[in-house]
Order: sequence, then structure tokens, then C-alpha cells
Amino acid sequence: MNTLEYISSGIVESYVLGLASDEERREFEQMCTQYPEVLQARLAFELAIEKQAMENAVAPAAGVKDKIFAEIGTRGKVIAMPSATVRKTNWFKYAAAASVILLAGSIYWNISLSNKNKSLQNNYNTTIAELNDVKKDIEILQQNPNVKMAAMNGQPISPKSYATVYWDTASQDVYLMINNMPKPASDKQYQLWAFLDGQPTDMGLIEITEKPLQLYRLKKAQAAQAFAITLEKKERSDISKPGGDVYVMGKL
Amino acid sequence: MNFKTTYSEQELVALLQQRNDKAFAYLYDNYSGALYGIVNSIVTDKEIANDVLQNVFVNIWRKIESYDASKGRLFTWMLNIARNASIDELRSKGYRDSQKNQSLSENVDVAGVATVPVIDDVGLKKVLTKLKGELRVLIDLSYFQGFTHEEISKILGIPLGTVKTRIRSALIQLRTMI
Repeated sequence: MNTLEYISSGIVESYVLGLASDEERREFEQMCTQYPEVLQARLAFELAIEKQAMENAVAPAAGVKDKIFAEIGTRGKVIAMPSATVRKTNWFKYAAAASVILLAGSIYWNISLSNKNKSLQNNYNTTIAELNDVKKDIEILQQNPNVKMAAMNGQPISPKSYATVYWDTASQDVYLMINNMPKPASDKQYQLWAFLDGQPTDMGLIEITEKPLQLYRLKKAQAAQAFAITLEKKERSDISKPGGDVYVMGKL
Repeated sequence: MNFKTTYSEQELVALLQQRNDKAFAYLYDNYSGALYGIVNSIVTDKEIANDVLQNVFVNIWRKIESYDASKGRLFTWMLNIARNASIDELRSKGYRDSQKNQSLSENVDVAGVATVPVIDDVGLKKVLTKLKGELRVLIDLSYFQGFTHEEISKILGIPLGTVKTRIRSALIQLRTMI
């Protein structure tokens, strides 16, 4: 096939703009995998359209962003909060759920801080919705007998590091609390792994902010005996296998 | 607050697929204007266009798992969600009724003269105005109004094969204008 002729037939534009028929789409996708020049032509037109659209951006109404966040709810969001102290007398009583209570207290603290923060103030309603969602998550963790916990201790490269995994064996949801981990260099990021019979499974990339405590909901785990966090280079071609140093590790 | 200011596309997609709402906020801040521009070029009523944009982002959030990087860039994927949602709105009964009411009230002008709202064409639509007559109509009907080639063939009374070749040549011309 004469690819130059194919490329200049209008199929590239037709495909990218969503005007191609199903048959044309299939053929074009096939051509892209077979001929790098077809793929290049697609990428070039995609970039041209994107640039064109970005240059002609029109600001939507101010309230749309808040409405979107209210509608999607926030299951799976990242919660970051400052640390708070818990009275010692209560600590023993709730030892098992200590970190969870800490989290709840911290969220209220966070909201009171957010009132002072103009950008957060705009998202106040969203924050309330988020809070309710977090409360639900906490309840699940507290009451659910299926939740297993893995305390991950620092490995030789970073002995003071500490993080906790909560794994709901029924729903397979995985929550990660970063208790203490060093902030990675800008070109690196942490990644959580679940181990089964010594084989690692990618559980997701973790974005660290400067907040002392963070709770994440990550990918679901089918089965796991242990969890670990490694420090990986960003922009790796294959993120399905660990390549960097192990920072923390813990068994269920 | 310590927000990251830029993400690579790969990074952004990975974070969105983990339901990271900070990455989603970044996505909105960076692309809502461009996508709204597209929506507004199809759904000209600003209030409705904002509602459509809201649906577009909710759909992006919900469907991000199905995004396949091998088939196109993230923006292209979002652009097509925006176009499809806009055309669905255009075709909805509610929208057609609202436009009917609007044109009715506009027709009953005190001066007795029908007024047509003037819309400044921007973006792709502006490029479209540079195409000559028939090709322009073809792109308008297919891209901005979402008619299939078969429908256009019936509307314009020209053979299906001719519709296809002319849309292709309109697209080739468009390519040189962007």
C-alpha cells in the first residue's frame, strides 16, 4: 500500500475528528500499528487540532468546576491533612483504630484551615462532600471485619520510613496511609506493590505532597501476602515491574 | 498548598485512572476552556453549553479507564467526548424546544423584525468559514451537526459516494488551514 497516498486521502483528519466509519477506524488503527509514518501523521494532526483548540479556548461559567466535583463525589480522592495529637487516655481505648481517629480529627482541622485559604474556600461545598465520603471510608475500615492491616516498616535505605496498608479482603479495596516517608526528588515517585508468592503487582503510583499524613485509595488487590513501596523514576516505559529501591515493606 | 504545576500526559492518565482528584482538577484547569470552545461551537446557547461541559468532564472522570493511548492522544479522546455530548444535546427534544421558543420570542420583536443572534465564530468554526460554499456545508453538517454521510446524502440530494469524497477533500483543505 502506498502510505503517502493513504495519509493524504483525508483519513487522518477523518479519524481524529471522529468522522470515520467503524470500518475505516479499524483499518486506520491497523495502519498506525503497521506504518510509523501513518502514526506520525495522526500525531501531527492531533497536535495541530489540540493547539488550535487551546488557542481558541473560551472560559466556561465560574460555577461549572464545583458542580462537576460535587457530581463525581470523591471516592478515590487523595486526602492530605496536617497531623493532630490524640489524648493518651483515648489512645489505648481506640488503639486499633488510632490512625483512623487521627484522620477524622485531622479532617476537621483541615476544614478549619481551609476557611482561611481562599482557594479552598471556593471549594467548600466540595470539601463537605469529600468529608462525608471520607467518613464513609473510615467507617468501612473501622467496622469491617474483612479489613486487614499491614504495617510497612522502613528498609535499610530509609529506616525511619513508615506506612500502613488497609486492605479490604471482601471488596478488594486498598487504602494506603503514608505515616512518614521522605519527599522524593522531582524526577522520582513512589509506587505501591502487592506481593503474592513473591511476585509483585503494581498497585499504583503515589503522589507525595508536603503534608505529614496522607490517605490514598489505590487499585484493588485480588490477593496479597505483603505490600511494599519502592522509589521509581518517573516516565518509566514499563511501570508493571519494580525497578527502584524498596523503602518500606510489611506482611499482612 | 503544594500542587504540582505540570504533568506529562502519561503521568496524568495514570493518576486519573487512580481517581486522583488533584490530577482531575489540573485537567479541568488546563482543558476546560479548549473543550468549552468546541462545545460552544456546536451548542451555541451558553447556559446549555456549560451544562454540556459539566457532563463532558463527569464522563471523562467515569470513562477514563476506557481511554486507550494507542488510539489517540488524551486531548483527542476528550475532544470526541465533547463533540458527541454536544451533538447529543443538539439532537435532544429539550434543546430543540428551547431553540423553538427562543426564535419565536425573537420573531415577535417590537419592530416586527426577526433578529438573529450574532455568534462570533471561533476556533474550528472560524477555519470553516474559509472553506468554499459546498465543502463548508458538508463539514458543518457532518462535524458540527453530527449528520451521518447517509443523512447528508438525503438532505443535499447528492450520491453517498460523492458525499464521502467531498467530505474527504474538505478535510484535506481544512488540514492546510489549521
